[in-house]
Amino acid sequence: MQSGRSQSMVGRIDTRGKHRIQAELKRLDQEARFLEEELEHLEKMEKASTACKEMLSKVESTPDPLLPITNGPLNLTWDRWFEGPQESQGCKCWIL
Amino acid sequence: MSVAELKERHAAAIEAVNDLRERLKQRRQQLLDADGHKLHSFSLLYYLAGYARSLGRSQVTFGPTDLVCCRTLQGHTGKVYSLDWTPERDRIVSASQDGRLIVWNAQTSQKTHAIKLPCAWVMTCAFSPTGQSVACGGLDGMCSIFNLNSATDRDGNLPVSVTLNGHKGYVSCCQYVPDEDIHIITSSGDQTCVLWDITTGLRTTVFGGEFQSGHTADVLSVSINGTNSRVFVSGSCDGTARLWDTRVASRAMRTFQGHEGDVNTLKFFPDGNRFGTGSDDGTCRLFDIRNGHQLQVYYQQHGDKEVPLVTSIAFSISGRLLFAGYSNGDCYVWDTLLARVVLNLGSVKNSHENRISCLGLSADGSSLCTGSWDTNLKIWAFGGHRKVI
Repeated sequence: MQSGRSQSMVGRIDTRGKHRIQAELKRLDQEARFLEEELEHLEKMEKASTACKEMLSKVESTPDPLLPITNGPLNLTWDRWFEGPQESQGCKCWIL
Repeated sequence: MSVAELKERHAAAIEAVNDLRERLKQRRQQLLDADGHKLHSFSLLYYLAGYARSLGRSQVTFGPTDLVCCRTLQGHTGKVYSLDWTPERDRIVSASQDGRLIVWNAQTSQKTHAIKLPCAWVMTCAFSPTGQSVACGGLDGMCSIFNLNSATDRDGNLPVSVTLNGHKGYVSCCQYVPDEDIHIITSSGDQTCVLWDITTGLRTTVFGGEFQSGHTADVLSVSINGTNSRVFVSGSCDGTARLWDTRVASRAMRTFQGHEGDVNTLKFFPDGNRFGTGSDDGTCRLFDIRNGHQLQVYYQQHGDKEVPLVTSIAFSISGRLLFAGYSNGDCYVWDTLLARVVLNLGSVKNSHENRISCLGLSADGSSLCTGSWDTNLKIWAFGGHRKVI
């Protein structure tokens, strides 16, 4: 009887311990998932930052006639839109 | 499972978590740029802008008389739906609801050709690389080619030289493959894109459709890579953009998700490694073709008002500026690096009086042409003082 009672006590302790470990495992698995997601995000950021670096370099080294501040060389033909007849109405003939 | 087995798993899980923590720590330390600036964890939505700002870049600023309208091309009697520049010599072809194509000399504003179309419901037009032909397509499901040097018929109309027949839906967009007048790519409401051989009038390749994987809704636009003409992108009502290699019909090389509405327009970035899109969801986005990244979203809040749709986009020749036309008449000039609107061509002097439906840069990037539902086209150029660095 004594041993029977202690056996069931051990059984109960065992079950409680098991539940604790299972809960802990579940928490650890969840944490691993979060960490993996973050790693993936960082990997994406790494690749994206290389892409951004390259884009910045490309954009800032190309002369652009529409920018107020731009790399040279300038091309005089860029200003051809402001030479010659300046009328903003242009040809007015209508299609019949 | 026994307690002993559970304890084993527990120990293994602790090891796995510690390993992941260590890898993360190392990764974070590696994520520095060339100058040693630590990159903050920006949302990928605003990544490029965050990066540029962290490097101290300041946004483009225009004075009030910098970007001006220097020509208004009048002549269409209906909404302008599409326009395209020649690769040289400042000529433009435009397509309108009035059922005509007009070819303009943008410098002198004169019309060199006014082409009455067999089908009035035109949606798109394109200039051939040599400038000798123009193409158009629309609700008739066909792409018609006109040789600008051919003689007009008895009624004074330019005859169709070639008809490209085969789509099972409307032709939404067409673009010639650069460097030769032989190949053209069309997009269609039948969910496919097609590469055509103009000399035979036959389809060389069909991308998507019922026998292969591709878009799952109407395709609204195409853009061919300027540095590698075997590559093109297409935008669709299925909300995606897809990257294609003309040698591979069976499937797209890559699918770009992100938009929450029809992708109405897309254009390759000048260097061909990225492309921009514009959508019914009111945003423009920038994607990198090599890794599929969405580098930036361009969106301005409008409060409680309805979000205007993006109808058309174009990049300036360096890629620093993104021009975007919207359904409410706005034409935002975005600083692509900092994702800020630096000018609205829809609210300056001499702006259009209705929605801007199409826009395009001249070949040397010195001017922007906009086409509008107000029946006009306008040419914009930089008339201010330039600072050279």
